[in-house]
Amino acid sequence: MATGANHAVKAVPSYCYNCVSGPDLLTVKVVDGVATQILPNFAAAGIHPGDGRVCVRALGLIQKTYNPDRLRTPMKRTNPRKGRAEDPGFVPISWDEALDTIVSRLSEIRARGLRDEAGLPRVAASFGHGGTPQSYMGTFPAFLSAWGPVDYSFGSGQGVKCVHSEHLYGEFWHRGFTVAADTVLCRYIVSFGANVEVSAGVCAARRHADARIRGIKRVQIEPHLSVTAAASAEWVPIKPKADGAFMFAMLHVLLHEHPRERLDVAFLRDRTASPYLIGPNGYYLRDPRERKPLIWDSNQSSAVPFDRAGSVPSLEGKFSVADCLEIGPDGVIWRHEQAVGATAFTCLVEHMRAHSPEWAAPICDVSAATIRRVANEYLENACVGETIEIGGDLLPFRPVAVVLGKTVNNGWGGYDCCWSRTMLAALVGALEVPGGTLGTTTRLNKPLGNRLATVRPGEDGFMAANLNATDKEHWTAQPTGRNAHRTLVPLLGDSAWAQALGPTHLAWMFLKEVPPHWQRPSAPDVWFVFRSNPAISFWQSSRLVETMAEMPFVVAFAYTFDETNHMADILLPDATDLEATQLIRIGGTKFQEQFWEHHGVALRQPAVAPRGEARDFTWISTELARRCGLLESYNAAINHGTGCVPLTGSDYDFSLDTGRAHTVEEIWDAECKAATAQFSNGAEIKDLAWFKEHGFYTVPFKREDWYLYPTMVENNLRFELPYQERLSRAGRELGNRLHEHDIHWWDDQLEEYAPLPLWDDVPARWERALRKMGGDPADYPLWLITTKSMQYSAGNNAGIPLMNEVGRNMRGHGGVIINVETANRLGIRQGDAVEVRSVTGCTRGHAVLVQGIRPDTVVIIGQFDHWKTPYAKDLHFPSLNTVAPISLDLTDSTGSGSDLVRVSVRTSVQS
Amino acid sequence: MTAILDGAPRLQRNWDSRAACNFIGGGAGTGLLLASAAALPAGSNYFPSALLAVALIGFGLSMVWLEIGRPFRALNVFFHPQTSWMTREALLSVPLFALAGIAILADQRLVPLPFQARVPVAGLASAAAAVGLAFMFCQARMLRASRGVPAWREPALQAVIIATGIAEGLGLLLVVSLFVAPPPAWVAPAAIAALVARAIAWEYYRQRLQTWAPAAAVAALHRISLPLQLVGHLLPAALLGAAIIAPVSQLPTAVAGLAVFATGAWLKLTVVTRAGFTQGFTIPFVPSRGRNPAETTRWPPQITQPGR
Amino acid sequence: MTRYVMVADLRRCIGCQTCTAACKQANATPPGVQWRRVLDLEVGEYPAVRRVFVPTGCQHCSDPPCEWVCPTTATRRRPDGIVQILYNLCIGCAACAVACPYEARYKVEKREYAFGHEPTADEALRADDAVIGVATKCTFCADTIDAGVARGLTPGEHPEATPACVNLCISGALAFGDIDDSESRVSKLLRENKHFRMHEEQGTNPGFYYLWDRDPS
Ligand SMILES: Nc1nc2c(c(=O)[nH]1)N[C@H]1C(S)=C(S)[C@@H](COP(=O)(O)OP(=O)(O)OC[C@H]3O[C@@H](n4cnc5c(=O)[nH]c(N)nc54)[C@H](O)[C@@H]3O)O[C@H]1N2
Ligand SMILES: Nc1nc2c(c(=O)[nH]1)N[C@H]1C(S)=C(S)[C@@H](COP(=O)(O)OP(=O)(O)OC[C@H]3O[C@@H](n4cnc5c(=O)[nH]c(N)nc54)[C@H](O)[C@@H]3O)O[C@H]1N2
Ligand code: SF4
Ligand code: SF4
Ligand code: SF4
Ligand code: SF4
Ligand code: SF4
Ligand SMILES: [Mo]
Repeated sequence: MATGANHAVKAVPSYCYNCVSGPDLLTVKVVDGVATQILPNFAAAGIHPGDGRVCVRALGLIQKTYNPDRLRTPMKRTNPRKGRAEDPGFVPISWDEALDTIVSRLSEIRARGLRDEAGLPRVAASFGHGGTPQSYMGTFPAFLSAWGPVDYSFGSGQGVKCVHSEHLYGEFWHRGFTVAADTVLCRYIVSFGANVEVSAGVCAARRHADARIRGIKRVQIEPHLSVTAAASAEWVPIKPKADGAFMFAMLHVLLHEHPRERLDVAFLRDRTASPYLIGPNGYYLRDPRERKPLIWDSNQSSAVPFDRAGSVPSLEGKFSVADCLEIGPDGVIWRHEQAVGATAFTCLVEHMRAHSPEWAAPICDVSAATIRRVANEYLENACVGETIEIGGDLLPFRPVAVVLGKTVNNGWGGYDCCWSRTMLAALVGALEVPGGTLGTTTRLNKPLGNRLATVRPGEDGFMAANLNATDKEHWTAQPTGRNAHRTLVPLLGDSAWAQALGPTHLAWMFLKEVPPHWQRPSAPDVWFVFRSNPAISFWQSSRLVETMAEMPFVVAFAYTFDETNHMADILLPDATDLEATQLIRIGGTKFQEQFWEHHGVALRQPAVAPRGEARDFTWISTELARRCGLLESYNAAINHGTGCVPLTGSDYDFSLDTGRAHTVEEIWDAECKAATAQFSNGAEIKDLAWFKEHGFYTVPFKREDWYLYPTMVENNLRFELPYQERLSRAGRELGNRLHEHDIHWWDDQLEEYAPLPLWDDVPARWERALRKMGGDPADYPLWLITTKSMQYSAGNNAGIPLMNEVGRNMRGHGGVIINVETANRLGIRQGDAVEVRSVTGCTRGHAVLVQGIRPDTVVIIGQFDHWKTPYAKDLHFPSLNTVAPISLDLTDSTGSGSDLVRVSVRTSVQS
Repeated sequence: MTAILDGAPRLQRNWDSRAACNFIGGGAGTGLLLASAAALPAGSNYFPSALLAVALIGFGLSMVWLEIGRPFRALNVFFHPQTSWMTREALLSVPLFALAGIAILADQRLVPLPFQARVPVAGLASAAAAVGLAFMFCQARMLRASRGVPAWREPALQAVIIATGIAEGLGLLLVVSLFVAPPPAWVAPAAIAALVARAIAWEYYRQRLQTWAPAAAVAALHRISLPLQLVGHLLPAALLGAAIIAPVSQLPTAVAGLAVFATGAWLKLTVVTRAGFTQGFTIPFVPSRGRNPAETTRWPPQITQPGR
Repeated sequence: MTRYVMVADLRRCIGCQTCTAACKQANATPPGVQWRRVLDLEVGEYPAVRRVFVPTGCQHCSDPPCEWVCPTTATRRRPDGIVQILYNLCIGCAACAVACPYEARYKVEKREYAFGHEPTADEALRADDAVIGVATKCTFCADTIDAGVARGLTPGEHPEATPACVNLCISGALAFGDIDDSESRVSKLLRENKHFRMHEEQGTNPGFYYLWDRDPS
């Protein structure tokens, strides 16, 4: 193209939300109606923490739009048999035929009943990658809510092999669905595998770079030299899954090797349950009348309820208490005439006594000196006692944080790591305060949009927590979903997101084989899939594919063919990123490091016309609602706020006429007006046309609202730390319920409900599971782990050539990373074709010999090993998922598992 | 900070075997022109060897013409004599072909009658040889100017290029003589001398590279050294020596000459297509990423009050 | 006088390749041609290992060997320091490519497309035969700079006049500007930080500086 004049050039503002670390703002350069470049939206400089920039993956959206392998018409399956080897025989059909086929199935279900005999929803839906598809499915959630009960149990690995336990424990302790360091102010970060320079998005990349220039120290503790370890002041090569021991030792140093006043005694005394007295049976000692936990008032030297005005609780000590009781599981009450109660803090000190750096060193294969130094540097930098002025308020200033990565914060060991990290913050008062450890959003507690508003006073001086009931009367003996999240995982609660965060691999497993005394769930009559590829993303992908083949009717919203929609009955091409309209919330505090000093909304709009017959997801949702006769409740759901914001407010009403079908423009025009009315408190009303030109609308968001601490102080609440009385009681009750139903296959998981977490020797647990699967640990000497790639959003853009071309500049891309000495010992040379074998599978790739990895560990980046996704299937890249077993033994009490496999590695020619 | 491991050097792929042919044809051809001119006074027949020489040079240049991206703009190659050895090489090729061409035609009395007597064949041949030598020198400097390829920019390579050019020229003369007429007596000893010079130049060149060039480049040259010294130097020197002491027939000297030319071609092909490794990337310092805690504590982000 | 230079802060760079992709999209370079390329270097031995991400590409040397060897004068250094290639003069001999100590030059013989034989819509729109068979390299986005300067903007300060790779860099590692202007951001960065240049011993006087630590002096 000559770069001369006479070319129609447009700059179309939009957003990218292709990974959980978004959304970020961008501009599409369109020349003569063709998208040619993705550029920043510099109008957001100073508002978006990354100044309106996007990462390399957003640049791949041009090739995604013009990918010749895109499906351009609805298609239907002609071969009824399903399986990897079965050609689906997809043939193009019209939208009318496709929608009518789906609607006839749905109407049949509506006639028979929305739930099957066991009460399980007949319709299931799966969306992948940490909820990001919601920013690309327009008003489809409104259709689902109009439909009624939907089973979100079938997962893709997001959730259970994703950042899982951190979600549950983080929200329970400090409303932190994801947990990050307050990087802008932090000075010392101990990171156990949090790969922020790759996984925490554009905001993190900018903030951590700025932090490095001003002198932050980040110690990256992980088995291989990841991109984040490279960009850290220090890399500590720890043995996989030994992080709990390292953190226990840090707690030991803080508690046993420093004078008590070096810690934030005031915080511990007033903002945590450290002073609560623990009775002989391991529950709080409570006063008989109000049953409030007792503390020892040092002023009057007597046991008083924790909230007694004027009392000064003792942080430490054992005290003899008269006339008190303990509340055990299932209403058991232990009355005490006289009982000796130790403060929770004293129990903590005792609990940590044995876990010295010397104890942890051999477990972590890290010297005791290093562990001790890191603990001391952490304490040194905590600035206990200092304050800082934020937006007119004086807040504690604690510029230290401990952050965890996937594989550390999920699966076995997730409980003790999440607890230790949160306790390390509490000991120096660095929890939810400037510079310290922040929860960034909520998904299990309502309202989703505002973390601080989810804090309501509950019992015992803590926040109210909506755990799933475990008492005899309210326990959901009959699972409401196929992964039985309410039945098995009290901590999850039952918000809209809870089910998708349940043990989604159990849903797949139970379809095939059911453990004793458990009813085999029926396969859903209709299963919707969008932006998720479980056949590639989950464990033991080959076995999962066989299970998926038994789904009777699968509707896949499809961009290209992929391994999951290989099993579909209907394919619907949705207009993708640069072709459709949607308004989403931005700013405030969201996943990873998306905490801004502004909040509002951003628009995605058609920069180019949709290709072929791809249709805007909002059009598809409206058509489905109309044809199902659910228009009334669909529009009502949109009016209620399922689209983006409620369409009516105190002094505005942009609600839709629920009686008729509305166009995509009408719906999003109403959302734009309502959103701007809401955020400007009625001062400004901007319509869709305005957003098409400006792209986003924001108003200031108070910086102090990043921190939960002020809200806790306002409500005079304490963080439910260190002692987990409520959780251990729920665990005992859950055990009783399961045993009453003769269910014993969850007993290992029940043991995890200790009030103070025990060191969980995960490597030994893995070896036991390996033997049970018929393998000998000696045959599989190496640990295989995985890590994200900056150029890939899970498998979402595996079919984009640009990502592979630039990704190849990074070592290990598409290969098996192995230590140079280990490779020499195994006769493997740089670039050799190698086989990575576990007890359940084998995956192949080329060897990448590096120094920056533990000799006992190998790494496979990302999730590939595709066999159907165009372009990706011809890369022949390996994947941990192909060799990772899907197993109950490797599932922890929150229902998640780590990406960790014992493997052997040899050159293909040797085997 | 100690020297840091570099980003791996890579085999350059811009100049391939066709570029090598330019050095092979150009070097041998100009060497042959030199030998032919030198042999002229001794009465050896100029036409056949000079024609072969011109053909070789022409072959080399046409291969380059095939390799460049825009062959129909080839004339642009003349535009930068101030610094470009490729321009100088191209410019020299004009008088080279002219002089050699006329000398050949005159030698064969193919020039128009009136000029036949007055065309000084020997003079033209010497001029052509001189321009040829300059042409060969340009080729050596082209390699030396390739600053991106350590094995080429090493100055000691120039001596190798010149030595092998001359040796190959004498060698080819011996080959041509087999079919034409016995060469002057001095050609064999001269060839031996040229071989010795090439052998020395080659070893010196490799020894110079040993300390700093990419290991892969040094290895590529090392792999051909033994066969080069045996087949390219020892064998032909022995054959030539024997021929000097006890001339039997011209075959051994021709074989020796062919061996010299062939190993010369192989040498240049290896240098261009096997030893052409870039020098890769090095960073003399590893960047600091943040600081040790002691330094950060002194730093005040904002006003902080000591103790509440 | 003006001399535009690039500064890459190795303390900031995380090897995300956003600049690599941004350059490809700004200049519609074919598959495999990366005028900006970020290396992933490992240094040292386990466990004392460091890993560094190093943006590379044309250094726009003030004494460029690629210009000396170029037989057609297609390679020319502009008064503002930018080393450009006049595609209509270039014969594609690649002498410049083997003369460049920074592996900065590319040459493609025929049109190639990302997905194989068929061009995507943007590839078809931007296909330009002028760059087939000739040498190409980073141009410091000369067109963007010239257009920006013509509108009174300052390259390196105003995005509309600044190279794409600098605009897109998410960590703030890349900076661009006039080293002869003591007030420019690049001059300030070079004053305040220790820096080095790649293969400085080659004497080409490269216009590409790497920052590696604060300079307390
Ligand atoms: N080995 C390994 N496995 C992992 C991980 C890992 O790090 N290593 N990470 C795990 C984690 S944390 C997560 S959250 C999961 C995520 O894994 P998934 O939930 O499976 O999410 P994605 O891989 O993003 O799935 C993307 C799918 O959506 C399709 N798609 C992309 N764009 C569009 C579009 O515009 N329209 C439509 N209709 N479809 C589209 C793609 O073709 C692809 O098949 O993976 C988990 N699995
Ligand atoms: N570029 C990109 N960013 C993403 C995503 C993506 O797909 N691409 N996905 C998003 C999603 S869904 C998620 S859940 C997050 C995940 O965010 P992260 O958790 O940061 O993701 P990973 O890179 O998998 O981090 C795992 C790191 O932990 C280390 N590790 C593995 N096992 C162990 C262990 O046993 N001990 C210790 N100490 N370290 C260990 C590995 O070296 C690896 O570097 O990323 C989000 N951001
Ligand atoms: S970080 Fe994630 S959301 Fe942001 S631009 Fe990159 S892929 Fe898109
Ligand atoms: S880096 Fe290479 S191409 Fe660029 S000016 Fe210097 S020598 Fe020429
Ligand atoms: S390829 Fe073009 S720019 Fe390079 S040296 Fe040859 S003529 Fe000059
Ligand atoms: S300055 Fe321009 S041409 Fe050069 S690497 Fe950056 S984007 Fe590419
Ligand atoms: S965009 Fe910036 S941080 Fe990313 S690789 Fe390029 S220079 Fe480094
Ligand atoms: Mo995830």
